[in-house]
Amino acid sequence: MYRARRALALAGVSGLILTLGAACGGDDGDGGDDGDNGSGDGATSAPWILGTTESITAMDPAGSYDFGSWNVQYNVFEQLLTIPASAEEPVGDAAESCEYNDPKTITCTLREGLKFSNGDDLTSSDVLFSLKRNIEIADPNGSSVLLYNISDGAEENPTLAEGAIETPDDLTVVFHLNAADTTFLKLLSTATTSIVDEDVFPADELLADDAIIGSGPYKLSQYKPGEQAVFEANETYDGPRTPKADQVFVQYFSDPAPLKTAIENGDVDIAWRTLSPTDINSLEDGGKVEVIRGEGSEFRYWVWQLQNDVPKEKAVRQAAAQIIDRDAITANAYDGTTAPSYSIVPPGFGGQKDSFKEKYGEPDVDKAAALLEAAGVKTPVKITLGYTPTHYGPNAVDEANEFADQLTQSGLFEVKIESTEWEEYQTLYKDGAYDLFILGWYPDILDADNYLTPFIRDGGFFQNGYSNEEVNTLLDSELAETDPAAREEQIGQLQDIVAEDVPLIPSWNGQNVAVTTDKIDGVQETLDPTYIFRFWGISKSE
Amino acid sequence: MSSSSGGSLARYIAVRLLLVIPMIWVLLTIVFVLLRVAPGDPVSAAVGGKLSEDALDTRRHALGIDRPLIVQYLDYLGDVVRLDFGHTISDNRPILDVIRDQGGATMTLTIGAFLFAILIGVPLGRVAGRYRDTATDAGIRIFGVVSYAAPIFWVGIMLVLVVVKLFPGWPTYDIASVQTKFLVEPKTHVLLLDTILAGDGEAVKDVLQHHVLPCFTLGLLLSGVIIRLVRVNVIQALQGDYIEAARARGIPERQVVRRHAFRNALVPVITVIGLQVALTLSGAILTERTFNWPGLGTELVQYVTARDYVAVQGLVTFFALVVVIVSLLVDILNALVDPRVRY
Repeated sequence: MYRARRALALAGVSGLILTLGAACGGDDGDGGDDGDNGSGDGATSAPWILGTTESITAMDPAGSYDFGSWNVQYNVFEQLLTIPASAEEPVGDAAESCEYNDPKTITCTLREGLKFSNGDDLTSSDVLFSLKRNIEIADPNGSSVLLYNISDGAEENPTLAEGAIETPDDLTVVFHLNAADTTFLKLLSTATTSIVDEDVFPADELLADDAIIGSGPYKLSQYKPGEQAVFEANETYDGPRTPKADQVFVQYFSDPAPLKTAIENGDVDIAWRTLSPTDINSLEDGGKVEVIRGEGSEFRYWVWQLQNDVPKEKAVRQAAAQIIDRDAITANAYDGTTAPSYSIVPPGFGGQKDSFKEKYGEPDVDKAAALLEAAGVKTPVKITLGYTPTHYGPNAVDEANEFADQLTQSGLFEVKIESTEWEEYQTLYKDGAYDLFILGWYPDILDADNYLTPFIRDGGFFQNGYSNEEVNTLLDSELAETDPAAREEQIGQLQDIVAEDVPLIPSWNGQNVAVTTDKIDGVQETLDPTYIFRFWGISKSE
Repeated sequence: MSSSSGGSLARYIAVRLLLVIPMIWVLLTIVFVLLRVAPGDPVSAAVGGKLSEDALDTRRHALGIDRPLIVQYLDYLGDVVRLDFGHTISDNRPILDVIRDQGGATMTLTIGAFLFAILIGVPLGRVAGRYRDTATDAGIRIFGVVSYAAPIFWVGIMLVLVVVKLFPGWPTYDIASVQTKFLVEPKTHVLLLDTILAGDGEAVKDVLQHHVLPCFTLGLLLSGVIIRLVRVNVIQALQGDYIEAARARGIPERQVVRRHAFRNALVPVITVIGLQVALTLSGAILTERTFNWPGLGTELVQYVTARDYVAVQGLVTFFALVVVIVSLLVDILNALVDPRVRY
């Protein structure tokens, strides 16, 4: 009996060892058929794998407001308009065209013959349904808040504003906005306006993640939450975004460390969002992979809490703006992976100007001292500077220390640094615990206004107590302005006012960075300020 | 005699099962309170740096987290009584789906870790006990202490670096390649079983390969406990009268150790291994994070970060139930294996 048990145990252990031994001597263990079961027939690329630390809140466009979910939606759904890689202005996607009849009215004409991946026709009725359900579901994780200009604005049970969308025929959609808004066309290119199939998606609740149906270049074949998503070319799609690869895998990482290992080992073909500057530089120095940098729209800035006594004095705010050395922050805190920012609006947007550089020039302690002296402010000025150590990545602490050091070294400020985790931080900065605190921003739409209205209208979303009637009037004006030149002029004026009043101090603009193996092509083109990762333009050589 | 002992064991099991109810209630209450006492909420965690306070309040209202705490608490307890663990707040998944989809990965990780722990810990403990107070014993004891004390994430990262250098191509993260996960139909939601059921040898190999490093890392932690336990038990067993009797009968020392001392020394190990389930699950959370393992530990960390009250409450309850059930099973097993054990 004992011998028999021992023999059985030995056989079991031997089997395990043999299996593992065989595995050790094997290839890369892909265990499959190279994924050669894609549906497309004209693709020229091998399947490729994207690794990312972004996560999915919901595949349904009505239930998400985050990079991970939106990027799936850009590839699976069509919107009325789309922003081509590295372009500023949207062009037709499901719509042949969308044009303003007047600042409050837009007419879109759909392309003929549009179909969802299940074969259903896509008509203007689906467009109406998609936007209406988004507003009515008002999911707490969703982005229906962006549709305020066609919503009735009710706190309980919001719905589409009366007559906000007309569909006179299958191909025509007419929008009647609550207020003049020249940014609405750009909103029609965002994932929140993705067009869903009214015969598949429920009107009053989210659809299950793995059941989504779209009309974009890819369809979702598999979704394992937190693990991976698999996309295959949508054979019913006949638009301009023709997929190069039949099959795309997205592998989700909970932590950047294994993502770095994965791209180094070639286990994923592309690593995009988010490796730390240290990891990126390390990978670049290693030389095994290619680091590709594109223009980004991430914006990092320091906010003055004007409800506190010290920052109420404009000269104090201006003096700090005069002292800040952005080049040193970029070099010392971010290893040169960011670009110094001299305006509330990042470069590349219509009307952008480096107002802070024009007003303050190079960092100059003497000028700062003169500003304080002229205002009769006693020095050193005691301020509390706040930051949050993880929410904005591991380098935020370096930035806070660098800026605090610059202020202290000037002899004009006495800085006390405080930090707390993001959850508490949000309460503390609104409650006035810090005189100066750091925040970050990604735009919802690529328009200069998305860097202005959220920040400087009546204290901004961060409620710092800044209020300026001239600013509010100019914001209303630029939103309604249809003449691009006149609008850019107004946007320039707003940036100048911010540089004068200094409710916040711009710090840096981020890059859009990806790391790829040498077999991947087409990534550089998609790395633009939209942060849309265009699967369809990317290919992998065998 | 046997009827009486069987009755006492049944009563013991019944009592233990009944005690699960107040234990879960206390646990739920503690988790509920701790999550709400901690700063932030699911809304501010997700879009706090994006929306105005009014917009945030609207979302809080939609989720019902602006209601009085006692109302939320009673609602939640009512749902749990109906075995309705609800949907996660941050990604709208049924809690039971999360447990079903991710539980298999955690299960195979912990089972694999136990296997490695036993393979490493039992032989080393036996050798250390047999050669007590020698250099071999000292070396093994130091190894046991270090493997128990070293932080899992550090051990994991070090092992990854070594493996990447020595065995290029060996998988260092995740439970399988993307192709395997795509092609294997999820019948049981335990990937290893699914690959076996699919009869796909390559996929089985792929999944086993992926298990080696994470299971070994977690197993090292447990092996430290087992080494010390087996060593002590072997030493005690070797001092027993029956061992002296065996020696007196002229049985070779090697057989004395193997057949008599070692086998008896293993009985308490069963109990202690069972009690290590809680340690293993907490270690699994760190291991999963280190190796991007798609298990419940990874999910739990993400839900805590997202302040997803519902998800955290559901997963912690599940972990607690697992620990209770395994502890109970170990007690029963112990009673069956060792007739001296009575309740």
